[in-house]
Amino acid sequence: MFDIILQAGASVLLDPLTLGLMAIGTLAGLLAGAIPGFTIAMGVILTLPFTFGMSPIQGLATMMGVFVGGLSGGLMSGMLTGIPGTPSSVATTFDGFPMVRAGKPGLALGLGLWSSFFGGMISAVILVALAPQLAFLGLEFGPWDYFSLIIFALTITVSLSGDNMVKGLIAGLLGLFAACVGEDEINGVARFAFGSDYIRQGFAFLPVLIGLFAFSQLLSDVEDSRKAKAPLMAKTADPVRVEHRKAIALVIRNWINLFRSSFIGIFTGILPAAGGSISNILAYDQAKKAAKNRDEFGKGAVDGIIAPESANNATAGGALIMMMALGIPGDIVTAVMLGALMIHNIIPGPSFIQDEPMLAYGVFIAFFAAHFFMVGLQAFSLRLFLLVTRIPMYVLASVILAYCAIGVFALHNITFDIWVMFGFGVIGYFMRKLGFPLAPMILGVVLGKLAELNIARAIGTSDDYFLFLTRPWSLFFLLMAIVSILFPFYQNASKDSLFSKIYVPISMMVLSFPLFLMGSPVRMIIAAILLLTGSFLIYKRTVSLKTI
Amino acid sequence: MTNNKSDLIIAIFLLCFSGIMINDASNIRDLGFEGMKADAWPRVVLWMLVVMSSVMLGKSYFQFKTENHKDNSTFKINFSKFKNALLCFGMFIFFLSTLDYLGMLLGGIVFVFGLLTLLGGFSMKLGIKHLSISVLSIGFMWMVFTFGLRVMLPEGEILRVW
Repeated sequence: MFDIILQAGASVLLDPLTLGLMAIGTLAGLLAGAIPGFTIAMGVILTLPFTFGMSPIQGLATMMGVFVGGLSGGLMSGMLTGIPGTPSSVATTFDGFPMVRAGKPGLALGLGLWSSFFGGMISAVILVALAPQLAFLGLEFGPWDYFSLIIFALTITVSLSGDNMVKGLIAGLLGLFAACVGEDEINGVARFAFGSDYIRQGFAFLPVLIGLFAFSQLLSDVEDSRKAKAPLMAKTADPVRVEHRKAIALVIRNWINLFRSSFIGIFTGILPAAGGSISNILAYDQAKKAAKNRDEFGKGAVDGIIAPESANNATAGGALIMMMALGIPGDIVTAVMLGALMIHNIIPGPSFIQDEPMLAYGVFIAFFAAHFFMVGLQAFSLRLFLLVTRIPMYVLASVILAYCAIGVFALHNITFDIWVMFGFGVIGYFMRKLGFPLAPMILGVVLGKLAELNIARAIGTSDDYFLFLTRPWSLFFLLMAIVSILFPFYQNASKDSLFSKIYVPISMMVLSFPLFLMGSPVRMIIAAILLLTGSFLIYKRTVSLKTI
Repeated sequence: MTNNKSDLIIAIFLLCFSGIMINDASNIRDLGFEGMKADAWPRVVLWMLVVMSSVMLGKSYFQFKTENHKDNSTFKINFSKFKNALLCFGMFIFFLSTLDYLGMLLGGIVFVFGLLTLLGGFSMKLGIKHLSISVLSIGFMWMVFTFGLRVMLPEGEILRVW
C-alpha cells in the first residue's frame, strides 16, 4: 500500500502541470469562496468543463484545489467586511469580524487560515485511514443494501436541506425522475423521449447541474437591479499582512478545540448532504459551550475563529470519505466530483480504491497538497479579492452565463446540451423562488440511475422483497432513513414533549437491532452500547417525568 | 402572490405533470425480459410524486382557506420582480436560436453585450465599456476552448461565408 501512496504522490506532486492546475484551482476557489453570492459548489461546477481535456487525476486535483480554496476563501470576506462569502464561513464572522474591528486583522486572518489548514490536515489523515476501511465494509453490500443506502442519502438530504420537508421530497423525486428520462440502463428502452432523438440520449449530468445550480444562482444574483449594478461589496477593506507565527502558536495552544472541531467537521461531512454550512455552526456552538470564558465569544475570541474554520475544512475530508469509499456524495460539491469521475468513465464505489488505487490515493494526496497551496496563495488571493469586489454583479453574471453555455457545449459538442442547461436553469430559478431546496434534486439526479440499477439487480437476483428488511445493512439504512425523516419533527418539537424526550433513545435502540443481526463482535459491541445507552436515557427520562 | 397560493398552483401543476408522465409511461416498450421492466422505476417515482404533490395540495389548500377569511386579495404575479430574470431568459433564447448563424464567438459577444446593456443600462461610456468586456471575455474563453482544450465551438454561417 505504501508504494501505491508513493506512486500516487509522485503522479500529483512531481508533475508540474498537475501542480500548476491545482494552484490555479485553489486560487479560483479562494476567490469563489470569498465573493458573496458565489458558492464553492458553483466554483467547482464551473471548473468542470475545463477538466474534460485533462487526465482524471489532473481534473480531480484541479477541482480539489477549488474545493479546498473555496472553503478557506469565505473567511476573507467574512472577517474583513462582516459578510460571509459562503454559508460555510457564517460562524467565522461571529468572532472574526469583531477581532478585525478591534484592530487585529492580521491575526484574525492568520487564525482562520491556519485553523483551516490544520483542520484540513487532520481530516486528510482520517480520510487516508478511514476511506479504505469503509470501502472494505462496502464490499459486504448487496444491491438491496445499496438501494437502501441511496434512500437514506436522499432522506437525510431532504431533512437537512430546508424547513419544508414535503417540498424537499418533491425536489428529490423530480431529480430521480430527471435521471429516468432517456434510454434505460438495463434494457436500453427509450423513456419519456416524446419522439426526440436528443431526449432519447437522456439529460447529461453536467448541463443539468450547471443549469440547476449555477444558472439559477446567477439569475437570482441579478434579480435586484439596484444591487446588480452596485459593486459586489459596498464595504471595502485594505490589504492586510497576515500574522502567521502568532496565529500558528495560538492554534496549537488551543489544540483541544482544534481536534474537537475537526472531528465535528469530519462526522458532519460523512453524513450525506450535511456540509460545511452545518459543521461550522455546530463546531462554534460546541467551542462556546466548552470555553471557560464564554463571554468573550462574539467579541473576537480566538476559539470562536479556530472552531468554525477547522470544522469547515475538515468537512471536506469527511465528504470525500463517503464519496471515495461508497460512491455516495457527502454534499453538492462531492456530487459534482462524482459527476466529473463519471465523465471520465470512472464510477466510485466500494471497489474503487482497490481497482483504481493510483487515482484514489492521488485524490487523497491532492486534497492534502491543496491545503499547502491554500496557505501559500491566501495573500495573493486577498489582493485579487479586493479587486474583484469592485466589479458589479451584472457584469460577472453576464460573462459567466456565456461561459456556462460554452462549457456545457464542450461536453458533447451539441447545442441540445445548452438548451438542457437553460431549461434546468429556469426550473432551478423558479424552484428557488418557490422555496424548493435544490440539494435533494441534485442528489436525485446523481443517484437516480444508481438507485434504479441496484433495485433492478436486487429484483433480478431474488423475488423476495423482504430481503430489503431482512438483510442487516439494508434494514440499518432504512431505519436510518426513518430516523432522518423524523429529525425535523424532533428539531421543531418542544423540549418538554414526549416525542422530543424519546426520539434519541428510541432511535439508538432501534438502530442497535440490525447491528446485532450482523453478527461480527465489534458491531455487536457497538449495538450493545447503543441499546444500553438508549435504555439508560429512557429510564432517566421516565424517572424525571415521575419526579415532576 | 402568497406562499399558499403559489404552493396550491404548483401542487396542481405537479399533479398534471405527473399525470401526463404516468400516461406516457404506458408507451414505454416491454421487451419481455425477466426482471424489472423499464417502466417500473419511473412509475414508482411518479406515483410518489403524485402522493407528495397531493399532500402539498391539501396542506396549502387548508392553509389558504383559513387565510382567505382575512385576505381577499386577488391573484397577482409581480412581473417587475422577475424583470431581470426574464431579460436573461429572453437573451439566452435569442443566443441559442441564432447560434447556428452567429456561431459561439459572435453570438457570445452579442449575448454578453446585449445582457450587459439590458441589465446595466446604456450610455456612450457604458456602451464602450460593455463592448470591451464582451469582446475580451468571450474572445478569451473562445481561445481557451478552441486552442487550449481543442473544442470545436460552433463557427456560425456568417463567419463561414465570410
